Amino acid sequence: MKKLIILILIFGVGHTVYGQTYNNFDTDSTTTTEPFNPSKTQFMIRGYGHTGLNTMSNDDETESSYVGSAFAPIFLFKHSDKLLFEAELEFVLEGNELEVGLEYADVMYVLNKNMTVRAGKFLLPFGTFMERLHPAWINRLPTTPLGYGHDGIAPSSGIGVELRGAFDLGGPSLNYAVYSTNGPRLKDGSEEPEEAGMLMFQNFEDNNNSKAFGGRIGLLPFADSSTEIGFSTYSTSKVGNRDSEYENVGAFLYALDFSFVKQIPALGGFVDIKGQYNNSDIDDATFIEIHEEDGEEEEEEYTFGNNSNSFYAQLSYRPTMAESDFMKKLEFVGRYSNFNAPEGAEWEEQSEQYAFGLNYWLTWRSVIKIAYQTTDSVGGHDGGGITNGFYIHWAIGF
Amino acid sequence: MKTIYKIFIAGIVLLFSGAVIVSCSSTKDKYTAVTDVEEEFKIEKSGAQMWGEACNRCHLAPSPADYNDTDWETISLHMRIRANLTEKEITKIEAFLKSAN
Repeated sequence: MKKLIILILIFGVGHTVYGQTYNNFDTDSTTTTEPFNPSKTQFMIRGYGHTGLNTMSNDDETESSYVGSAFAPIFLFKHSDKLLFEAELEFVLEGNELEVGLEYADVMYVLNKNMTVRAGKFLLPFGTFMERLHPAWINRLPTTPLGYGHDGIAPSSGIGVELRGAFDLGGPSLNYAVYSTNGPRLKDGSEEPEEAGMLMFQNFEDNNNSKAFGGRIGLLPFADSSTEIGFSTYSTSKVGNRDSEYENVGAFLYALDFSFVKQIPALGGFVDIKGQYNNSDIDDATFIEIHEEDGEEEEEEYTFGNNSNSFYAQLSYRPTMAESDFMKKLEFVGRYSNFNAPEGAEWEEQSEQYAFGLNYWLTWRSVIKIAYQTTDSVGGHDGGGITNGFYIHWAIGF
Repeated sequence: MKTIYKIFIAGIVLLFSGAVIVSCSSTKDKYTAVTDVEEEFKIEKSGAQMWGEACNRCHLAPSPADYNDTDWETISLHMRIRANLTEKEITKIEAFLKSAN
């Protein structure tokens, strides 16, 4: 038995030594003179993440917490030069829970040089903020402007089909997008009375067979592509549930956006101006308010002109032509935004917000953001008042 | 609201029809490089210039060295669609990124 083990060991060690000594790697598929040939099918994981410290204070209290640790991987499957699948997951730690969301998942096919079709769940080109500018490593401030997010009036994504493309006009250029989605759903107040009349855009199944239609036209009038003016619309004839009294309530939304980005030698750096105005007009409807009187619940009907709007304008400046390397990586940001929800609604609100930030760009896709923000509200979920916030965030794209 | 909705739908249909007609009636399927005469008179912008202009519209322009040629092909296709860039822009930007990485 011992002889057999010794023989096996001698054979094994000898084989390894021989292999290591005389292998010239000729049979390997990859050599220095013959590089591997990449396949046409490609898979990439890109995305972004961010984390930070938020300190918020109002008249009553101050809250400070490390937040974020958000992780948003983007999966790209390139099947050919014309066919691509994209999907973004979002993992966010919020309220002591891990929230997972599917931001978008769609397939795209380039039909010709001016037209691409997309289908699935995609970011809606309603203005530019939600489609292009909201990722943490792109957004110049740690927060979003008023009018976006959970209680916002601007739709961010939808499930449907879209055609988009761009035309070169010999200097100026024009881009367009037209789409149809399941559309929004009207909150009728049966579940959340304080939100009766709001639109809920996360409508994964159509509640009334009435599709929403929308589109955006963007014009870049100058040959240097520094300026873009966009007009977006989003409309549906029905937002209420089928066979409900709200079925025929319609909605019409529009947005105007503006962008100017240019390196101006006289100012020694990049100037970046962005702005967007959103308007939402929903047909008037009658909702029911339940309140207690003398220990008994009483129902009261009420209605209001369901028109909301929001606006933001942002100016940032990067002294990229400064002599100091440190200065070149700095960015100064200021943003104003406001939000007006309808008078008479349970969610009536008038808010104004100012935000100022100082960013330090470690690389083109990694930034440390320090910002101060003050919001003055009347009404809204928190009852209004002045809220001040101080933020330090680190965002990274990959 | 119904009238606005009908006008809006008509507008969308017109926009859609116009885009289909114009894009499908184009005689060129692919972007072709400029002629020597155009190059001499600097009529066309370089890929590097377009990279600086188009990318900076949303985010800081990426370093060409951060990805290899194959990755840039995937990223270029993705950005072409997401940022609604013209074929000429993305073709020249992709060529620049591949040449400079």
